[in-house]
Amino acid sequence: MDAASLRFADVTRRFGRLRVLRGVSADVGSGEALLVTGHNGSGKSTLLRCLAGLLAPDAGTIEYHEGGRALEVAERRRRVGLVAPDLAFYGELTVAENLEFFARLRRVDVRRGLDLLGRLGLPSDQLVGALSSGMRQRLRWAFALLHRPRLLLLDEPFQNLDAAGESATRALLAEHLNRAGGLAVIANPFDLELDRVAGRLHLGG
Amino acid sequence: MWRDASTWAAEAAAVFAKDWRCEFRTRYALNTLALFAFTTLVVVSVSLGPLGVSAAKGTPVLPTLLWLILLFAAAAGLPRSFVHEEETQTATALRLAATPSALFCGKLLYCLTLVAALEVLITPVYLAMMSLEVHSPWLLVGTLAAGGYGLAAGSTLIAAMIAQARGKGTLFAVLAFPVLLPLLLLAVELTRHAVSGEPAGMALTQILLYDGTVTVAALMLFPVVWNP
Repeated sequence: MDAASLRFADVTRRFGRLRVLRGVSADVGSGEALLVTGHNGSGKSTLLRCLAGLLAPDAGTIEYHEGGRALEVAERRRRVGLVAPDLAFYGELTVAENLEFFARLRRVDVRRGLDLLGRLGLPSDQLVGALSSGMRQRLRWAFALLHRPRLLLLDEPFQNLDAAGESATRALLAEHLNRAGGLAVIANPFDLELDRVAGRLHLGG
Repeated sequence: MWRDASTWAAEAAAVFAKDWRCEFRTRYALNTLALFAFTTLVVVSVSLGPLGVSAAKGTPVLPTLLWLILLFAAAAGLPRSFVHEEETQTATALRLAATPSALFCGKLLYCLTLVAALEVLITPVYLAMMSLEVHSPWLLVGTLAAGGYGLAAGSTLIAAMIAQARGKGTLFAVLAFPVLLPLLLLAVELTRHAVSGEPAGMALTQILLYDGTVTVAALMLFPVVWNP
């Protein structure tokens, strides 16, 4: 499988007068994880949204290579797997219906969604609106991994998870990084004990 | 190429099916549209007389009122298609997973079926309550189809534009005025012709051109409006 790599340099982003990111740079290669830490409001989520292509940086460059070529922002947006606290799903639909919908949009086999439901211990026929915050976090993981992305962007990935949930998601992350071409950027307010962390980036300090 | 087209169509169909599945479980848009349409219908029929107005007075006025009822009922329910995605924060997942053009077409199809349902429910009741005789029924059907499509396409695009803004209600009205005004003028004129039995003339070509223009403009603008 082809290698993938992510490199960003001097990424700057403002919201009005507030400069959230100033000249942030790093690079991540296949099989590696970059751990981004920083206090609340330091710009971790903003950086991940910029990397996902959901937010345009005011300055700086973001280059993502996959399959031997650099991907444009629109293609990058569709290829990445994102776990983020503000990622929400349809409360009127069940867990399985949500994953089935996104599997159709992602053009992947619906059985992949069912497989992830089993691995993450999600109740397939429960309405998403009735899920606990921990179960919602598990669903975010299922959504992010549905299309087997090479680049995984994880914003506070173990938030609200119980021991079983954290164990299942850590196993999925390890599998992802062991897969040829898999890489991850993980944002968390504090340091995390993880294998394969090739670099650390501290924001806001 | 055909494989790409079929997967694109499958994406649009998935968005359409998802929207209707959510709608059947909440019935928000259906109830809003039905309540608004029923209220305006009753107000118009009571104020103009439930037994109808004379043909001489009715021909110029009643087609205008029919389109006003359809416009206001549609405006109460259609913007929700995109606004709801932003309000419930599901838009981020959609941005990551969907092809913008397929997403727009899925949403358009959903709005189109809402408008069609509204027209099928409202028009016969309105004609009966107003005792309005239609001399060219096929022209009326064509006008409702072309006008309904334009209303759905214009409203879907405006809904996408306002979804991320503050003051969505005001913004919808401000943007809808220039976009939907030409459509409504043409639809009213064609409905008058259908009622009086006059030929459609250039207005039918113009309304079809309007529909085509709005569709092309929406497909070109939507990816810019939708993504950062």
